[in-house]
Amino acid sequence: MNPRIRALVRKEVWHILRDWQTLVIVLAMPVFMMFLYGYALDVNISDVRVMVEDPSPSVETAEIIRAIDHSSLFKVAGVVHSAGNPDEIFRRYHVKALFRFSPEFSADLRRPGSPASVQVLIDGSDQNLGTVLRNVVEPFLQKSALEVLHVPVPAAVNVRQTILYNPQQKSAMYFVPGLMVTILMMISAMLTSLTITREKESGSLEQMLVSPVRPAEIMAGKIAPYIVLAAIDGALILLVGYFVFGVAISGSLLLLAAASLIYIFAALALGLLISTVANKQEHAMLIVLPVTVLPTVLLSGFIFPIASLPQLLQYVCMLIPATYFLEIIRGIILKGVGLGVLWRPMLVLGCMGLFLIVVSVRKFRVKL
Amino acid sequence: MNFIRLIVWKEFTQIRSDPIVIRLIIVPVILQMFVLGYALTTEVKNTTLAILDRSNTPESVSLVQTILHNQLFRFAGYAESETDCRDRLDRGDARLALILPAQFARDLEAPHGAEVSLIIDGQDANSSTISSGYINSIISGWSVSYLEKKLEAGGLRLRNVLPLEVHPVIMYNPMLKSTWYMVPALAVVLVTMITALLTGFSIVKEKEGGTLEQLMVTPISPVHVVLGKIVPYVVIGLLELSAVLACATLWFRVPFKGNFFTLLLFGLIYMTSSIGIGILVSTVARNAQQVLFILWFILIFFLFLSGFFLALENMPQWVQKVTYINPLRYFMFVLREMFLKGSGFAELWPQGLAMLAIGGVVFGASLVTFQRKVS
Repeated sequence: MNPRIRALVRKEVWHILRDWQTLVIVLAMPVFMMFLYGYALDVNISDVRVMVEDPSPSVETAEIIRAIDHSSLFKVAGVVHSAGNPDEIFRRYHVKALFRFSPEFSADLRRPGSPASVQVLIDGSDQNLGTVLRNVVEPFLQKSALEVLHVPVPAAVNVRQTILYNPQQKSAMYFVPGLMVTILMMISAMLTSLTITREKESGSLEQMLVSPVRPAEIMAGKIAPYIVLAAIDGALILLVGYFVFGVAISGSLLLLAAASLIYIFAALALGLLISTVANKQEHAMLIVLPVTVLPTVLLSGFIFPIASLPQLLQYVCMLIPATYFLEIIRGIILKGVGLGVLWRPMLVLGCMGLFLIVVSVRKFRVKL
Repeated sequence: MNFIRLIVWKEFTQIRSDPIVIRLIIVPVILQMFVLGYALTTEVKNTTLAILDRSNTPESVSLVQTILHNQLFRFAGYAESETDCRDRLDRGDARLALILPAQFARDLEAPHGAEVSLIIDGQDANSSTISSGYINSIISGWSVSYLEKKLEAGGLRLRNVLPLEVHPVIMYNPMLKSTWYMVPALAVVLVTMITALLTGFSIVKEKEGGTLEQLMVTPISPVHVVLGKIVPYVVIGLLELSAVLACATLWFRVPFKGNFFTLLLFGLIYMTSSIGIGILVSTVARNAQQVLFILWFILIFFLFLSGFFLALENMPQWVQKVTYINPLRYFMFVLREMFLKGSGFAELWPQGLAMLAIGGVVFGASLVTFQRKVS
């Protein structure tokens, strides 16, 4: 390696080591986030608190209420004789649904030809929960009523489900690739843009420029340690994922490493680009968050599936390197597919990385 | 009091003199508001679906049409075999594959019913659970109407066979729009980010530049410095809360049923926590970069455990207990309840008290550590 670059790398490494608080955060953050995701992320809806209004209690209503309470989906928070103003119930007790049996419920239930009526008020604030509850209440109640009457439940079509790639629906399978994408972006884009603007602010960048070191060498020297740091973080995520959460990589580790490297380069170039625009650390930060970190988390398909977004945002998704990297990394870790399937996102990611590097180097030179 | 006023004046002048900071306060917030407002949808739409119809009977075609008629799925082509289904999922061309067996129509008449297979791409556990839930409910809907037709042919009506008449009514968000739920909550994220970050930056910057020491040798006490410094950020925070409110109601058309001033008061209570966190972090951090990192770390932690996009009710008991110390959790709840249900002090006082307690502790601790650090 060029001795000048080597000296610069050594200087940057010292900077990083001296600022040990940041280093600790950089290394602890992914591990911490993995545990957070690992324990907080449970996508199954269960034990939804509901209230029941039962104006004329009977054996039948009691049995149905028991069925509601015993189901894994609901938990009966209370049974009232009269709900009065349902608004009050929702506001005060924060239940998600209110089942209201009609006063003639048990009589109607036993009488053929006149279905007994149940009204279900559903708190739709959380649209997801609201949709699930709306779809589920009718079949659920019909089934429990049939059981109370000891009538066999009719069914025309049964669905047998097979879940591929993550049969146990372990959340780890979902967040390990997602974290790789976010953490690598954070480290590479955020840290580089910040260190460069810091040197700009303190004036040491100008001092370096009047030295015989060439701008490209300064960039290379500044970037190299962060590539290593990002790679360490990536490895850390995969190791914790494997040993703690049991996420094995079903595809090629080599391909994974290659794709990660391309992605890291793209992210570093993005960080460089931001540092050419921003002159102060705070500016860099205020740009970095909305430009890199948030889109990576929100628009890469990590948390919200891309297909569900409005068309305009889907186009934005296509411009984000993380989208392609996530597709690659999920493909390798979960599906175990290789280059034969993944060549397209690999190609796009590579082109993006190349483009970003060229632009940022150009801009960096012009700015200096 | 005079000293505080002076510091407030100084801080405002500093913010004003840096037009980029003002632009950076406003632009990303608007940007985030819109991007997040649209992106933060918990809906799962346009799920790609491949179909293998081995039966190819009027019944199977009717079921397939019913499913595809729905906006929630996008047809990804007919597969030729089960391996073809698998390939399509491998390549990512389809996220779901539905296989109707050859004996589908015959089995429909059998007492045990027909069985269809659904192959699900389970990479993203959340959306696959939701989309398979959708398809299941569509199939069972089709199944009920099929039974109904069959019974009608036999001179019966399904309504007479089923024991119940269930009337689901959706309240507060009748069209089940996710923006109605997410946009109010977004205010919490934006207010927290801006107030904590800016306060933290403004203190750490003075620390880095050495001007904090200069301030300390003046007769102004450290507590006055802090109080003076935070006033502008409280104002910015409240302005931002109002801006988000305006944006939510005027652009996203989220109904605001609560009282504006109650909202501001809750915002004020909440900011004791967010600004307190900013000060605390700035006393620990040595430079702006550290402030950002530590705050980002804390924010992610709190955001996850706030019910923002993961329901708290689903979390393990001990995690739920941890969330009690999370100020974001309360403010998020307050905003959502206030927006959609029109709740006020009568219902939300426990959350207000909790925020007051947390804010008091955090803010008090931040003042004490600041004083200890500078003296």
